Amino acid sequence: MQPDLERELIRKCKAGDARFYEPLVRAYEPSGLRLATGMLGNLDDARDALQDAFVKAYEALNRFDLRRPFGPWFFQILRNHCRDMLRSRQARFKLEALDERLEMRPADAEDGPERRRQRAAARDLLWRALERVGDEHREILVLKELQGLRYTEIAQILDIPEGTVASRLFHARRALRAALEGMGAEFAEVDTGA
Amino acid sequence: MPERITHDDLMRFLDGELSPEEHARVQAALADSTELGRELAIFRAMKGRFQDLTFHPGSYHQSVWDEVNEHLTRPVGWILVVAGVVVWVAYGVYVFVASPTELWEKLAAGAVAIGMLVLLASVLWERYREWLTDPYRDIQR
Repeated sequence: MQPDLERELIRKCKAGDARFYEPLVRAYEPSGLRLATGMLGNLDDARDALQDAFVKAYEALNRFDLRRPFGPWFFQILRNHCRDMLRSRQARFKLEALDERLEMRPADAEDGPERRRQRAAARDLLWRALERVGDEHREILVLKELQGLRYTEIAQILDIPEGTVASRLFHARRALRAALEGMGAEFAEVDTGA
Repeated sequence: MPERITHDDLMRFLDGELSPEEHARVQAALADSTELGRELAIFRAMKGRFQDLTFHPGSYHQSVWDEVNEHLTRPVGWILVVAGVVVWVAYGVYVFVASPTELWEKLAAGAVAIGMLVLLASVLWERYREWLTDPYRDIQR
């Protein structure tokens, strides 16, 4: 969404007209759902978290600085809400890796059945490894690898100095590697060509 | 790992977060160290695994807007209903008190009304306390 349009919509929302919130919700819900699903592990909890986060964000719009982009601010609210859910009894990281709704990327038409089976197995393995690495590591992996955010954006969402992002990513990736290897993944044959 | 290249440098290199000068420095270190190159290759391989976890746009769900909109507009409805009820009740009480009815009739009617309100409040309070201690309240059906 264009920054100017986004600012204008937020201005209208601040004036009390909730109708102008709809384009913002529709623009940010795909990435929000991706973040929440990555953190919570299943779509039902992710949808609940997403709804609550949008409501919270709307109620907090008066404190929103119009010079900043809406996305990272909203993702920070969503991330905090997901963490609250994980801390409470309401949700655990519940895997739904084999659920058809989480069929993340459609298989290539050229992929044979064997290749598709391998991809599904690799995806399932990664999903289960994400469960094992713990909430702290998982959230930064989700922000970087699923959301594709830059370090500055991740720092803003996690409320940490930008210099800390690389360090936390390293520890998270190392934990993920250990989890994958613990479940039988092989990295011995990786191509070391730069 | 060579001393000059830290784990943070490696992460920034992997994620394309380095300046051109820093990038060249890490690239040179990678050419000198097979260990560093292997570590980077493993992280790259893991990064590649995430590509299969990317949602395909538009294939996953229906919008949450209806639910969000319901939450945003419902409080306005409640405020209007409560405000209307308060105004009508206040007007009713005023009319009742100001009417030429006998005092004992006013007291009797007032006692009935207040008694019913007290009973209703006590039932609500009891339900609330039960809910607070209900061990199954977070279990979804």
